[in-house]
Amino acid sequence: MIVCVAVVGHQNNPLYIQSFTEADDALKLHHIVHCSLDVVDERVNNPKRSGPTLNETYLGVLYPTENYKVYGYLTNTKVKLIMVTTDLDVRDADVRNFYRGFHAAYVNAVSNPFHVPGKKITSKTFAEKVSTIVKSFG
Amino acid sequence: MANFLPQFHSIKTGCDHIVIAVEDVSDLWPVIKKGFEERLPIKKAFLNNKTRNPVLVDELPAEFILTTDARLRSRFPQEQSLFWFREPYATIVLVTCEDLDEFKNILKPRLKLIFQNDEREWFIVFVSKAPAHNDQATKMAKKVYAKLEVDFSSKKRERCCKLDIHGSDANFWEDLEAKIMECIRNTLDRRIQFYEEEIRKLSEQRFMPIWNFCNFFILKESLAFMFEIAHLHEDALREYDELELCYLETVNVAGKQRDFGGVERGDDQAILLDPEKKSLTQIVQDDSFREFEFRQYLFARQAKLLFKLNRPYEVASRGHSFIISFSKALALHESILPFCMREVWVITACLALVDATSSHFKVGLAAPDIEKEFYRVQGELYTLCRSKLMRLAYLIGYGSELERSPVNSASLSMLPWPKPAVWPSLPSDASSEVLAKEKMILQESLRPKHFGIQRKPLPLEPSVLLREANRRRASLSAGNMFELLDGRPNANDGSGLTSPLPKANAISMSRTFSSPGNFESSIGRPMRLAEIYVAAEHALRNTISDAELSKSLSSVESFEQKYLDLSKGAANNYHHSWWKRHGVVLDGEIAAVYLKNENYDLAAKLYEKVCALYAGEGWQNLLAEVLPNLAECQKILNDQAGYLSSCVRLLSLDKGLFLTKERQAFQSEVVRLAHSEMEHPVPLDVSSLITFSGNPGPPLDLCDGDPGILSVTLWSGFPDNITLESLSLTLTATHNTDEGAKAIKSSDAIVLSPGKNRITLSLPPQRPGSYVLGVLTGQIGQLRFRSHSFSKGGPADTDDFMSYEKPTRPILKVAKPRPLVDLAAAVSSALLINEPQWVGIIVKPIKYSLKGSVLHIDTGPGLRIEAAHGIEIEKHGIGSQNVDNLANPQEENCSPLASEVKRLALQDNKIELPEWTSNINSVLWIPVQAISDELPKGAPAGTAVPLKQSVVDGLRTIALKLEFGVSHNQTFEKTIAVHFTDPFHVSTRIADKCNDGTLLLQVILHSQVKASLIIYDAWLDLQDGFAHTGKGDGRPASRFFPLFVSPKSRAGILFSICLADTPGRGEAKELHPDSILNIRYKISGSRSLGAHSPVAEELKGIDGEDATLTFRSALVLQRPVLDPCLAVGFLSLPSSGLRVGQLVTMEWRVERLKDFEDIAASENHHDEVLYEVNVNSENWMIAGRKRGHVSLSSKQGSRIVISILCLPLVAGYVRPPQLGLPNVDEANITCNPPGPHLVCVLPPALSSSYCVPASA
Repeated sequence: MIVCVAVVGHQNNPLYIQSFTEADDALKLHHIVHCSLDVVDERVNNPKRSGPTLNETYLGVLYPTENYKVYGYLTNTKVKLIMVTTDLDVRDADVRNFYRGFHAAYVNAVSNPFHVPGKKITSKTFAEKVSTIVKSFG
Repeated sequence: MANFLPQFHSIKTGCDHIVIAVEDVSDLWPVIKKGFEERLPIKKAFLNNKTRNPVLVDELPAEFILTTDARLRSRFPQEQSLFWFREPYATIVLVTCEDLDEFKNILKPRLKLIFQNDEREWFIVFVSKAPAHNDQATKMAKKVYAKLEVDFSSKKRERCCKLDIHGSDANFWEDLEAKIMECIRNTLDRRIQFYEEEIRKLSEQRFMPIWNFCNFFILKESLAFMFEIAHLHEDALREYDELELCYLETVNVAGKQRDFGGVERGDDQAILLDPEKKSLTQIVQDDSFREFEFRQYLFARQAKLLFKLNRPYEVASRGHSFIISFSKALALHESILPFCMREVWVITACLALVDATSSHFKVGLAAPDIEKEFYRVQGELYTLCRSKLMRLAYLIGYGSELERSPVNSASLSMLPWPKPAVWPSLPSDASSEVLAKEKMILQESLRPKHFGIQRKPLPLEPSVLLREANRRRASLSAGNMFELLDGRPNANDGSGLTSPLPKANAISMSRTFSSPGNFESSIGRPMRLAEIYVAAEHALRNTISDAELSKSLSSVESFEQKYLDLSKGAANNYHHSWWKRHGVVLDGEIAAVYLKNENYDLAAKLYEKVCALYAGEGWQNLLAEVLPNLAECQKILNDQAGYLSSCVRLLSLDKGLFLTKERQAFQSEVVRLAHSEMEHPVPLDVSSLITFSGNPGPPLDLCDGDPGILSVTLWSGFPDNITLESLSLTLTATHNTDEGAKAIKSSDAIVLSPGKNRITLSLPPQRPGSYVLGVLTGQIGQLRFRSHSFSKGGPADTDDFMSYEKPTRPILKVAKPRPLVDLAAAVSSALLINEPQWVGIIVKPIKYSLKGSVLHIDTGPGLRIEAAHGIEIEKHGIGSQNVDNLANPQEENCSPLASEVKRLALQDNKIELPEWTSNINSVLWIPVQAISDELPKGAPAGTAVPLKQSVVDGLRTIALKLEFGVSHNQTFEKTIAVHFTDPFHVSTRIADKCNDGTLLLQVILHSQVKASLIIYDAWLDLQDGFAHTGKGDGRPASRFFPLFVSPKSRAGILFSICLADTPGRGEAKELHPDSILNIRYKISGSRSLGAHSPVAEELKGIDGEDATLTFRSALVLQRPVLDPCLAVGFLSLPSSGLRVGQLVTMEWRVERLKDFEDIAASENHHDEVLYEVNVNSENWMIAGRKRGHVSLSSKQGSRIVISILCLPLVAGYVRPPQLGLPNVDEANITCNPPGPHLVCVLPPALSSSYCVPASA
């Protein structure tokens, strides 16, 4: 189950963060997303280590822990799409598929002429679209 | 084969180097042993690895062992092959012989016997004992050695070498080492091959029922071990890796349920770095090993090899993933393991791994990125350990000590509770401990946050512990009955804990009694939280064998110390890695502990780091969590500046993050501090809180020197109104950077309401240029603040954390100095002198409002303002409208007095211009009167009238000064000239002389104004000596009147006069020196063109009175001289004509026409005449006297010729020199020719001096 999705701007500022847990614990997910940026940074700054995935937007699992997994996706404009799931056995193809939808939704949201690039995404349509994608995941 | 396991184990422990066997045939070993052993270990050995590639081994330890040694004897052949790795890798046969026969008969057969059927790698060392001086013995030794070589060496392989005891043969040792290495290499290759073959065979049966992992393991580890003693660690590591894979593949084959292990006392301590901790024989299980120990064993072996390979970072990273995966394995078997075994194991494993790897790790050992990765893994290990420790601490009731921060919540709330088969129950003798825990729960209260911030605490538990624990116990006794026990949403709320319990207790009691099972009563009854804690603590005491860990959990203080150590360890390692955020976030956790322990200084420093991280990247939600803590530290530390800035930052966070009440608390803190006495007042940066911008639309446009009012929008982020004691705003010139920014101030206090505020600031005159807003500064109480933040017409975007960008749009433009207004005279032609006239002044604003402007009028000499008539103002005609105003037709139409005339009053020579004229051209009509006392004089016709003179006479000036602008700061001064003139210029001539002495005097009236003049009457007041002819009064016939004179035209009037006797000479002359021409006229002209009816007359005209003007002009009439005395005749010029540059003589003849007696009577020089030649010196050059006396007899008819030499200078018709007689009245001279005349002067003759004759 996806507990959180986030869009993080190219200056590592949160643009959109939405948790899908029932408990009032969004803050810990903020923390997880924020800390996962370390891994994105590491991958971006160490092209040697990231190896063949250099040119790929999908970063794979950023952050496997015992209890949850964080996936990352880096767009060409250095916007990070982060997803936190408590599902420990997720097929990579599913995640890629999820990200395809998520990225498309993001692109639609920022193509809105009234959206200021680099500002938080406030579009309701985007939020709805994202929650649909999240619900259909897995 | 599994039976060999114990033996294998003992062999392994006793064997860690290569064995070289020494077959001491001739009892030589004691003699040469020292020399041999000095060579060990073998340096720089080349060995072949598994893939037959040579590998350089720096140092290969080995041992020489005699074949007679017990260690090499009595082994069963099967053993030998299995544990082949411990067998000698080379056999050195030591021989000596001094006799060929002895060699042939004894030694050779013995050697043959030794090598017979032996697969050993061997070679012979022949030791020559022959002393160096004994040639005989030496020779013999050589012979024997030669024989030996022939018998045992082959072409393929040298198997002999010779050691001379008494000689010094350096080559021998090299030879020996080479031979030993050759043997070892060959042996190793063969053994590798053997093991591989065996392993291959065995692994083919891997999935068959007969498969025995122990056998496979012994073979595989033997091979690995062999590699290890040969120092081929890489290969050994690979073997272990393969072994691990194979084990994981086969261990969980379905159908074979084995013990997992880990239930023994002390198993909770990870042994993942100590392979010898548990002997393999203890963990063998059927044909395999117990997973729990064996996997740790394998990892330990791998770690050992990696340490030998100097790769501690790899140990760390492999260890981390091992711990993770092993932890999962533990989770699968959690039901059989002791309570919290998994957590405890992870803690000990992490700590052991961290200790071991960090002690092996040296900075600079590996590439920088590997180092960073190492630190990262260390940090991960610490973090893992930390979260497990926190989990244990929570279970035993230290939950309240744990900071409910996002990081702790993230690591704990998704970590499931331990899942023992049954939750530990309360020991019977623990009632006092339960009481203590209960007391602790009761005492526990959430530490109130600063500013009274109330937040729902973040969860640290995946589900309610109370429920989970009771469910796990109840599932044994009463199914899921306790699912009903949903009483408490949060186990941590210990205060109200007791209320639901008795009820639940009652239910469970009845259930317990009715249940048939023989459980203890404590199982059936749901435990209270304190009981759960105590039970967990007891169970943990049983689980934990590590003294240090149990000590750490023994009290809150020691737990906190451990927690702090782990957090610091994690943070420090993360700081050295790529994962800076992880490190900083953990710093925040450390800070929380410091804060709790009142170590505010350190806490503040760490919190600042965390806040900087979150603020820098705009993670406001997270920032809102730690910033109040920082503020609290700063407040306690009395760091006023820091505290203020924290409050401001709190206020500038997203409004949704705090309640209004909390935000008001922040503001009140700011205001309180601002109005208190601050020790070190510091300017406060409120850029994020108060932002400013100019108004939308075009910038304020000012002309040079104008003050203005600047309107600025301020956005206040304060939740309440806030009073600013003062406010100033700097303006920065965009083009002129070297000029410092100028501040404009608002003097009075401003109250900012939340959100948008519009304030106006009065702007003193600025230099030309365009200006942008700079910095906003001001004061709240004693506190100075500044804001750099320019908002783009909206409220400050709080997520826009990087917006300190400079505004680019200018807010103010001050134009370069330019004419703003022009004043000009409305008329170009002359006005009437001595009459009140309207003089028009055109006031022409040039794109500038003249609102409230004042015109100062100062007339020059000879001009006065007829203030009584009032001043008129009207719109300037369309025809002369300037284009700028035409472009604005609406404004034209709006003007209230489009064509009307408005009267104004003059006060102290000042006029205030009406408002409607502020943007349009207007004409101001001022009644003035030019005063001239002189009577205009008529001139005789024909003479050149010096018009210039009259123009200058009629010129009057008006000095104008216009004060205008917003605050009368602009002035415009101009002096305009106005011409005044008489209506006519009068000239006279005698038109005819009649025989009867009547003279017809023609008076020519030359109109000088651009207006029609109507002459109603004209009469002549004659001077003495003249009289009107007839009986008339000198008026022309009245029917000629009125006479219209068009502008600039002429009219003539004839008067007939005659000479009259001069009455009493003296007095009459004084009475009437001149004749006066009187003309009564009217003028009809437009004041916009020039002369017009006088102002006063206009007024009279309204009354219907007949108002005419009178013009008077003096005429000089001279009595005519009828009989001239002298005649001057210009004598004709030579017929050849005049030519430039040719001298010519001009001659005049002067003749006396009549006696000069009566005139001469009064003069002495009656026989002399004064002459003067008037000549234009540009045309003529004169030689001779221009002026002089010539004698001329006073008798009638006397004549004289005056000649003068002249040189014409210019060609053309020029006026010749004229002879005048200054002493004689003109009337007494008759001239021939009578008037001025011209002569023709030819151009100079062509000069031929430079010409060349044509014929030549």
